[in-house]
Amino acid sequence: MLLLVGVTLVTFVLTNLVPADPVQASLGEQAAANPEIVEAFRERAGLDQPLPVQYVTFLGNLVQGDLGTSQQTRQAVSAELGRAVPATIELALGAIVVSAILGVGLGMIAALKRRSAVDQIIRLVSTIGISIPSFWLALIVYYVFFFQLRLFPGSGRLSAILTPPPTVTGLYTVDSLIAGDMVAFSDALAHLVLPASVLALYTIGLLTRFARSAVLEVLDQDYVRTARAKGLPGRAVLLGYVLRGSLVPIITVMGIAFGSLLSGTVLVENVFSWNGIGQYSYNAATRLDLPAIMGVGLVVGVVYILLNLLVDVLYGVIDPRVRVA
Amino acid sequence: MHTSISRVAAVAAMTAAGALVLAGCAATAPNTPNGAEQGGGGNGTLVVDASFDLATADPNREYETTGSIVAKALYETLLTFEGDDVTEPVAGLADFEMSEDDRVLTLTMESGHTFSDGSEVTVDDAVFSLQRVQGIAGNPSFLLEGVTVEKTSDTTLTLTSETPNPALPFILPNPALSVVNQEVVEENGGSADASDAAEDFLNGTSAGSGPYILDSYDANAEVVFTANPEYSGDAPAYERVVLRNVPGETQQLNVQAGESQIALDLNPDQAAGLDEDAVTLISGASRYVIFLFLNQSEGVSPVTSNPDFLRAVKLGIDYDSIVDLAGEGSVRPGGFIPSLFNGALTADQGNQQDVEAAKEALAASGYAGEEVQLNFPNDITVQGLSLQSVAESVQAQLAEIGVNVSLAPAPVATELDAYRNGTEQIGLWYWGPDFPDPSNYLAFTPGELVGLRAGWTADADPAVKSLADAARAATGDERAAAYEELQVAQNESGPFIPLLQPAQNVATAKSVTSVALNPVWTIDLGATK
Repeated sequence: MLLLVGVTLVTFVLTNLVPADPVQASLGEQAAANPEIVEAFRERAGLDQPLPVQYVTFLGNLVQGDLGTSQQTRQAVSAELGRAVPATIELALGAIVVSAILGVGLGMIAALKRRSAVDQIIRLVSTIGISIPSFWLALIVYYVFFFQLRLFPGSGRLSAILTPPPTVTGLYTVDSLIAGDMVAFSDALAHLVLPASVLALYTIGLLTRFARSAVLEVLDQDYVRTARAKGLPGRAVLLGYVLRGSLVPIITVMGIAFGSLLSGTVLVENVFSWNGIGQYSYNAATRLDLPAIMGVGLVVGVVYILLNLLVDVLYGVIDPRVRVA
Repeated sequence: MHTSISRVAAVAAMTAAGALVLAGCAATAPNTPNGAEQGGGGNGTLVVDASFDLATADPNREYETTGSIVAKALYETLLTFEGDDVTEPVAGLADFEMSEDDRVLTLTMESGHTFSDGSEVTVDDAVFSLQRVQGIAGNPSFLLEGVTVEKTSDTTLTLTSETPNPALPFILPNPALSVVNQEVVEENGGSADASDAAEDFLNGTSAGSGPYILDSYDANAEVVFTANPEYSGDAPAYERVVLRNVPGETQQLNVQAGESQIALDLNPDQAAGLDEDAVTLISGASRYVIFLFLNQSEGVSPVTSNPDFLRAVKLGIDYDSIVDLAGEGSVRPGGFIPSLFNGALTADQGNQQDVEAAKEALAASGYAGEEVQLNFPNDITVQGLSLQSVAESVQAQLAEIGVNVSLAPAPVATELDAYRNGTEQIGLWYWGPDFPDPSNYLAFTPGELVGLRAGWTADADPAVKSLADAARAATGDERAAAYEELQVAQNESGPFIPLLQPAQNVATAKSVTSVALNPVWTIDLGATK
């Protein structure tokens, strides 16, 4: 809870340090020149109050689940985030699942083929994955796989001719399955592939490198040697000893990687017109929509806190020594 | 054993790749955008890509480009324009007659218009809607500032202005002045004063008489419209329209791939890169004027406020090369009124480059190489044109005559403060008209909204001020001449330097046979075929 308050305080202070007036950013040329309209705007948005009062008011509203009203759209920030967050969760989950499988898999292969050509190639690919700017990659991927090869659909989460499934979770793939709409499901899944792949490339590169070094470390451990000496099948050694022994650092990196996915979505969602928190935060920042920026900051903060919690819990599940400690 | 283990790891890695392939197969299903029947608006759906600046679907509160597109599709206005001709207002929901002194506009409701709930559009709805625009004190409220709206009979209403207001018939077609269904709006919290609370409702349900009704609305992502069966005009060609928020780069690819049928916001490079076998490009001068100003306040800059320095800058700019930079379809306005409107000057009536004369004027100003700062927003484009490229061009041209300009780009949200507070030395900005009448550009005269931003106070230039007053008071055929004379004088001594009107580039699929573009509401979705 203290962390959450800290997140709100930091976001509030940073947002208000921006040398710009949200009134000017929100009102049109003529309206901004009318003192009555400006005054009404300030009063409605609470900007006529001193900053500490604004912050306390924000916290008071937050306790009641009210994130305030967007200065741009005059809609409840919580309602807008309620639409945007599931879209990003769907995208980030898709990316993290692909990253986990490919990143850990490639890292293990690289470790097992240490110093071979395969190892070199995988390390090169992972370096490229980490180095390429995601917005540039997004444009290239869009151009090649959508426009040139026509393998995947383009903008949005669903084809314009289809109607979104009834909202249950907000994740189109899940909701379309719940609704039994397989056309919408396959379409939503197809729309997910390109942006999720772009986002995943960075985390694949990151996870590959960490998985490789973690597996290399475990491969030299006595208990792995013992398992091999006892004649256990290779698959059993890999999954039961090597992978499990390497998981703690991998899980740690995955927690960090998931957080970086959220920041990566800002540019990727814009290219793919993916109506998630990345696109929402971009719009909020460029229009200096303070309540929306605060809302995004809070959501991202909560996600980080929950991820850390999840990682800590997973440590205990994976490694009994942590539970005992 | 390593071989066995790595095989297992490879299988794990391949699982993810398999998932991608599976999803890729899904992308080839018939209902996907790359399917054959999608192109050309399959299933009666028109997909329009635009770069959103959307804030609301409440017509009486909207004042953004995308908001106007939305309002135009959902609502009707009392007066309107035919096609893209904004030089003459025509009857919409009402016919009109202006009094000889340009103070009283009488509107007579036309019969036969119905809202989407089947009820008739009445004079009460019209009065309520206009008073609502005034009462809620929003962005478009200034359009009816100083105007009294009154019902005078069951079929007529009058708009009485405090001062002669010949622009009023040109203001009324603005989609912000749309007529809403009073009963429905009031039932949902609406009122004609600051207590109005109908916006949330109108963001989910339209209450208009336009060609479409609102199906779904998301200010950040897309707006979906379906045809209004009660619409009194010609039924729209498309049963459903999806207006999507898509960046320019992908708009260009989408329209060529058949994923969308119209791309509204292409910059000159994107327009030039189109495959014209696949799409049709419509390119013409936009309503925006990009201009430079030199601050006339000595407190802000003793350099830019020097009349000889100002003259040197006007003579030092290569106007034609800036227009060329902006690409095909861009034009140079002769004054601050864009070429599309009454009272516009032609390019040859504007200032012309003369490098030698510029150097002489610079010498006369006593300029000693001081650095002057050119401020501009660098995170927005005007019709896809980056102000950064225009600023760099101006900097290079002024360097040729010996002026030392430093560029000071900043995000628009932060730079607006300096611009509107009049603290920029040299500013590079743009102006989109509030309504297609030259009187809107009186803002660029001494003591007025934009004039003050350039430190041009009311008493700074009595000659131009007097011409501005004369233009404001002019009526009938005299108006165009009065505004032309004003601009000539402004070009001579004013701090504003109109540079160009960037092109509006719209690409359409071949299946789209008619696109109804207009400088006020950008595109009329209901009239697009």
